[in-house]
Amino acid sequence: MSQKKDILPPKIVHNFGAEHPINQMKDFLIGSLENMGFKSIDGPEIETEQFNFDMLNIKKSHPARQMHDTFYVNKKSHVLRTHTSPVQIRGMLDSTPPLAFISGGKVYRKDDDATHLPMFHQVEGIYVDEDVNFANLKFLIFEIVNLIFGDDVDIRFRPSYFPFTEPSAEVDILSKEGKWLEILGCGIVNPVVLENCGIDSNKFSGLAFGLGIERIAMLKFGIKDIRDFYKSNLDFLNQFK
Amino acid sequence: MKIAYSHIVRHIKSSPDLSEVSEKLFQLGHEHEILNGSVFDIEITPNRGDCLSVNGILRDLRLFYEINLDDEIYDKELKNFDFNFTNNAKQHCKNITFLKIDIKDIPKNYNSYLNDYFLDLGVTKKNFFTDVSNYISYETGQPTHCYKLDQIDNYIKLDVIKEDAEFFTLLDEKVKLTGENLVFLDKNNEIINLAGIMGGKKSACDDRTKSVIVECAYFDPEMILGKAVKFNLNSDAAHKFERNTDPICHNYVLRRFLKIVEQHTEITNVEVFTDNSIDELSNKISFETSKVNQILGTNIDENDCIQYLTKLGFKYVEDSFITPSYRHDVKTLNDLSEELARSIGYDQIKDKNFTINLYEKKQTVNDELALKEALIKNGFYEVINDPFVSFNEGSGISVDNPLDSKRKYLRTDLKSTLIQNLIYNERRQQDSIKFFEFSDVYNTKKSFKKRVLGIIASGRVDKNFKDFSKKITNKYVANILSDYISETDLNFIPISRESINSKSKNHISYVEIEVISNGLSKHEPKNLVIKNNIHNYKYNPVSDFPKSHRDLSFAVKDFAILAKLEETLLNFENKFLKDVFVFDYYNNTSKEEIKIGFRFTFQCDTGTITDEDVDLAMNQIIKLSLDFNGVQIPGM
Repeated sequence: MSQKKDILPPKIVHNFGAEHPINQMKDFLIGSLENMGFKSIDGPEIETEQFNFDMLNIKKSHPARQMHDTFYVNKKSHVLRTHTSPVQIRGMLDSTPPLAFISGGKVYRKDDDATHLPMFHQVEGIYVDEDVNFANLKFLIFEIVNLIFGDDVDIRFRPSYFPFTEPSAEVDILSKEGKWLEILGCGIVNPVVLENCGIDSNKFSGLAFGLGIERIAMLKFGIKDIRDFYKSNLDFLNQFK
Repeated sequence: MKIAYSHIVRHIKSSPDLSEVSEKLFQLGHEHEILNGSVFDIEITPNRGDCLSVNGILRDLRLFYEINLDDEIYDKELKNFDFNFTNNAKQHCKNITFLKIDIKDIPKNYNSYLNDYFLDLGVTKKNFFTDVSNYISYETGQPTHCYKLDQIDNYIKLDVIKEDAEFFTLLDEKVKLTGENLVFLDKNNEIINLAGIMGGKKSACDDRTKSVIVECAYFDPEMILGKAVKFNLNSDAAHKFERNTDPICHNYVLRRFLKIVEQHTEITNVEVFTDNSIDELSNKISFETSKVNQILGTNIDENDCIQYLTKLGFKYVEDSFITPSYRHDVKTLNDLSEELARSIGYDQIKDKNFTINLYEKKQTVNDELALKEALIKNGFYEVINDPFVSFNEGSGISVDNPLDSKRKYLRTDLKSTLIQNLIYNERRQQDSIKFFEFSDVYNTKKSFKKRVLGIIASGRVDKNFKDFSKKITNKYVANILSDYISETDLNFIPISRESINSKSKNHISYVEIEVISNGLSKHEPKNLVIKNNIHNYKYNPVSDFPKSHRDLSFAVKDFAILAKLEETLLNFENKFLKDVFVFDYYNNTSKEEIKIGFRFTFQCDTGTITDEDVDLAMNQIIKLSLDFNGVQIPGM
């Protein structure tokens, strides 16, 4: 029989908690983009229509501005930002090119079903310099997608439409099941947007991209229902530590 | 928008197969699904209203194929008729044409192309003129509306009404019109058509209608926008007018309409009335190949640029391109660059490396990160809640168009949502709940926005034998934060169990801290637990079925096997076993015996776990344990 001096009590396990998986993904993306040379900036979640729409070339007639798509607050004086792009507008107004900003945070749209929530998260980036072009944008997007999904993922660029970029693209990755899945939107910054921010569009051009964090996290972690992120279920949260 | 493959391919000389057409549509930016192996369900982007038709899609596909877009049209001369039309809304409708048609007989059967439209897309037939109108909209993208001639009395007025009104749609739905609306009115000033959205019941055609007035208009999209949703009307016409239509297509569209009518029955009379105030439409874009290549990072030849854009309907005139009347979305060189990028294919543009060297990267650790680290190290989980609440605490910001009455305001603190998180997990048998949330909160006061940290905790301190029997207190939470905030500065808010209808006796610690600026932290965290690598998680869907806990205590006389017993049980595998840990440990030196207790948690993913399943697993565990010499289970 062993002697008393040999006894080691069980290890006292102090269980760590965890950062929310959405913030983990957001921080991972922002950190990675900071490593690429972007500077992280923040902005308010309650925005004016001017910053959320007008400055971004989203006309009064654009469907996104309707009451059924956007949350208006305080007697229609403000909106809950529908994307993080207004942060970039504020960034461009506060500085001069060349510039490279990244911003992430909560955004709001008037949706609530199995695949859409009224609140979700985005990370968006913008780079403005002389001679920035679509081929540069593709390089950056490849870098970002490979960071998240690895080097051997198949990527497809498709033409799309965003009022603040022209040309605009959406990017898909090929799933293991052989299905193309949309993961982000991007494009060359519309010269109108640059001019709105006092940037000479004849001298400077820009690229911009935006990712929905929930969508990326769902694809990355294999989560089927977007609502799982916000039930605050401990059995869910403790799988991300 | 649904378009049948067969309706497209009959216009394409080379008859490409469905998968090839699908690939080309993706290259053009027309994302779609294929339904039943024969119908493209295309998600047309809001700027491409011109593609909401068979002809619109074919115009884009001309980039790749030789396409016949010369459908037969009615080529006889059209007499004008004296129509009493008043346009009091010229700024919203600059071009409108009315066609008066009388037919001899109502056709009993449709020609194959018209019949296929209904069959292939599952569209329900209504009556002859409405069916032709629907088909014309599908083929050309231009909605038309047919009024029963005898209900019109040679008079129509287009006007903007600002007062509330009632309107019965052709589907016999009563709509209460509010706000500013563009409407067609009859002689009695009764609304007969909600312009661009849906016609009225009174003048709707039926299966006996032989004489109609067909209206073909160009409406200002802003005047139509959002109305169909507002009045809960499902309208294909509104969808098209909102996205803009071709302002000068009316002659073609109506002649095509007439041709289809003529192919089915004898037209006994046809007359036309037009009210057109459209000026010069031409949109000319100065073109420089070098600038396009600069935007795209490509080296496309000028002749290729001209060829591609010409195929898409643009006219090259003296170093400029004139856009076709249906392309409202093309106004600048960047727009033309996108057309060219679509033409060669986005995937054919080779990526180009670049680096950004603008900012010096500083490794900063702010208070938020430091607090987050301290909490995570002590077993706290971060949660994120949406900001909508049902109540206003006085300075809450109201949502003008909430999703429902439970989400009418923005929260001004995090308490109510964190309490909900606590209750949710207590109901799921969690006995140690430690949550925190960082969020901006807003109010109507001058401060407007503040950044806050909310912390809520209740139950056991931790899942180890030292902490299992300890309960969370305010002191416990204060100790965790002590490196950043002194206990006296923490304002714990009492939350009674009665106030949240809870029978638990566990104390609830709740504290909210305003994160004003950096400077709380006495020292920088050394080992940041915030992950910068998100690649290693193996997620399993969470079961909503109840858990079953079993505790098992052992008396160990042979101290040498203690570690082996612990290793065996902590690594025991069973498909229902979700968690196992040591919750009790006591070294009884006088008896030279160690008591060690393990808690096992079982849960089934597909139903409520049965006692039999748990007993089976526990019997395996007991057998394994008792196989060790000197291990006993007291009472067994």
